[in-house]
Amino acid sequence: MSDTIIKVENLSKVYRLGTIGTGSLRQDINYWWKKSVLKKEDPFFSISEDESPGSKNILWALKEVSFEVKQGDALGIIGSNGSGKSTLLKIISRIVKPTKGKVSGRGKVSSLLEVGTGFHHELSGRENIYNSGYTLGMNKWEIRRKFDEIVEFSGVEKFIDTPVKRYSSGMYVRLAFAVAAHLEPDILIVDEVLAVGDADFQKKCLGKMREVSQSEGRTILFVSHSMQAVNNLCDTALWLQKGRVREVGDATYVVNKYIASVQKLKLNQKWDSPHSAPGNDFIRFKKVEFIPNFKNLGEPLDIRTSFTVKFQFWNLTDNVLLSTGLHLFSYSGECIFDIPSSSKYFDRGIVEGECTIPGNFLNDGSYFISLIIVKDTSVQLFYLEECISFELEDYRGDIKWYGKWMGAVRPKFPFRFEQTVMV
Amino acid sequence: MNTKDVSWDWEISSKTSYWNESFKSLWTYRHFMASLVRRDFLLNYQQTILGPVWILFQPILTLVTYVLVFGKMVKLSTGNLPPVLFYFAGIVLWNFFSDTFGGTSNTFRENAQIFSKVYFPRIIAPLAVTGTNFFRFIIQLILLILLIAYYLIVKHEKLSFSYWLLAFPVAIACAGIIALSLGLIFSVLTAKYRDMGNLVGLAIRLLMFVTPVIYPLASVTKELSWIVKINPLTSLFELFRLSLLGEGTFHPSQFLYSVIFMLAVAIIAVLVFNKQGDKLIDVV
Repeated sequence: MSDTIIKVENLSKVYRLGTIGTGSLRQDINYWWKKSVLKKEDPFFSISEDESPGSKNILWALKEVSFEVKQGDALGIIGSNGSGKSTLLKIISRIVKPTKGKVSGRGKVSSLLEVGTGFHHELSGRENIYNSGYTLGMNKWEIRRKFDEIVEFSGVEKFIDTPVKRYSSGMYVRLAFAVAAHLEPDILIVDEVLAVGDADFQKKCLGKMREVSQSEGRTILFVSHSMQAVNNLCDTALWLQKGRVREVGDATYVVNKYIASVQKLKLNQKWDSPHSAPGNDFIRFKKVEFIPNFKNLGEPLDIRTSFTVKFQFWNLTDNVLLSTGLHLFSYSGECIFDIPSSSKYFDRGIVEGECTIPGNFLNDGSYFISLIIVKDTSVQLFYLEECISFELEDYRGDIKWYGKWMGAVRPKFPFRFEQTVMV
Repeated sequence: MNTKDVSWDWEISSKTSYWNESFKSLWTYRHFMASLVRRDFLLNYQQTILGPVWILFQPILTLVTYVLVFGKMVKLSTGNLPPVLFYFAGIVLWNFFSDTFGGTSNTFRENAQIFSKVYFPRIIAPLAVTGTNFFRFIIQLILLILLIAYYLIVKHEKLSFSYWLLAFPVAIACAGIIALSLGLIFSVLTAKYRDMGNLVGLAIRLLMFVTPVIYPLASVTKELSWIVKINPLTSLFELFRLSLLGEGTFHPSQFLYSVIFMLAVAIIAVLVFNKQGDKLIDVV
């Protein structure tokens, strides 16, 4: 079971920016002359090899990527947009040629780089199951054998003879997936395709993929932006950054490192002098800070993490009764809560405060915080809007359900649940 | 576990080869090709009132026009043959040639979307286009045969048949292979240099006039006949008419020229298409 099934060695892919392709006829003839007649070094490489300012119009989509995948493994490929994930999948799928390096492998490869490859709007669901099946590399008997299963999985039995252009987009996606889910390749390549379709269907697809990789010993290469999905589905993960391998190894470890690096949102702000700081004649902010209370170094910032919001401001008047409030908003602008502080008398100088939000309280998502300073418990002195924004990653432990968790908060309140009578 | 010893099933590298698909691997894609042909066919006639009748409608209308314009108005000679049969034979074979050539030369532009999402031997797509056109050609050929039968039985037209009748599949095959091969070469060129797309359309239209579609080779004057004879399609069209209608010229040297041309262009086409096909997806 632990045989290497795909081996990627020094894989590089160069794209020319601006003019796509090799260029003009003159360049082509020049290129051919130098390479084939004069037997010189490939001029395409000699330009791109040096990274001098002269080669500005060249993009290394992948650069010297090497890794191996063992049979039965599910490899998650993560990275920000433009990191080369899709290029890598396209090369392994034989769609584009690498510029350098090679990929060797064993067995049949099927790739699922978009939803509904081989679908045609004018044709009926039935026709499309066949067409798409063939396009993805199934043969006639395979499709026939699985036809009923595919229809059932998609849940569009009633409309199977209707042209798919009359389908709702959900039905279309479900049917397209159903075909793909019944592929039986040795290596299945899946690009970010689960982003479409409703939560329920996503769950069904992920479940099917787990089943495929774990019980049938198939190998999966899976690109996703959903860290939760990668964590649950994959054993190993590959993190690409600007076309290079940044990290490869155990999925949880790589995913955590990736999340930690991505979260460089507006976590703290500092102002050196009261003149440039936000505020007015009464108040000037000095500092706002978001401090996650990690137990171990390198932990991701997820829903389990407790965090502290710290702030400092210059108070510019004497003997004034001040109080503050911390407003937490969801990314859609809905206020989740408003925590007021106690009221106290202050003199000129620096005032500071902090508030700690426990872990296992907020749901996953993006949030921002605004701070309000109030005088005499009734008059608003200053409102510092959106001074901190942060993101909490999802964490579900052993729960094998991948849909969006509902609600603004996800508190862990005690929950009694037991069998009282045995029959 | 020693990965050095493992033999790999496949390998992907920057190298492109002139011949990378075995016939065996192409054979496994036969159902896929059939489904593409079927799809093209269904798509063309979905939601049309006349449906597949259109396959016949187009050549019949062309025939009526040719008979009116070239037969009645310009009064071009059609030899001893009835103009209807003469023109229709030319139209049917010409349609097959021009649709196949035009269709396959668009391979990369038409299929850019699917080529960028899934792998299969790229040559399947132009083969499917050829298949679709061949199927349409067969239907039109049946109409031609019915017309011949009508002229024989009802009009008591004298058509001289001989063992030449056996030769018409050869003419069809040669015309088809030349069309596909030229299409393959031009599909690579059009993908790289878009201008070629316009050129192909124009070239096909002009090529018809130096091919004996609307006139018999025998009626071309001596001084100008070299222009027609340099066209490798000429002998094929003449052979097609000779075998089906019993009238046409056949020179072994002319025919040999056509066959050699066909072989040369077919070999070049397959090599060029295979060599360039994998790289082109970055371009289209």
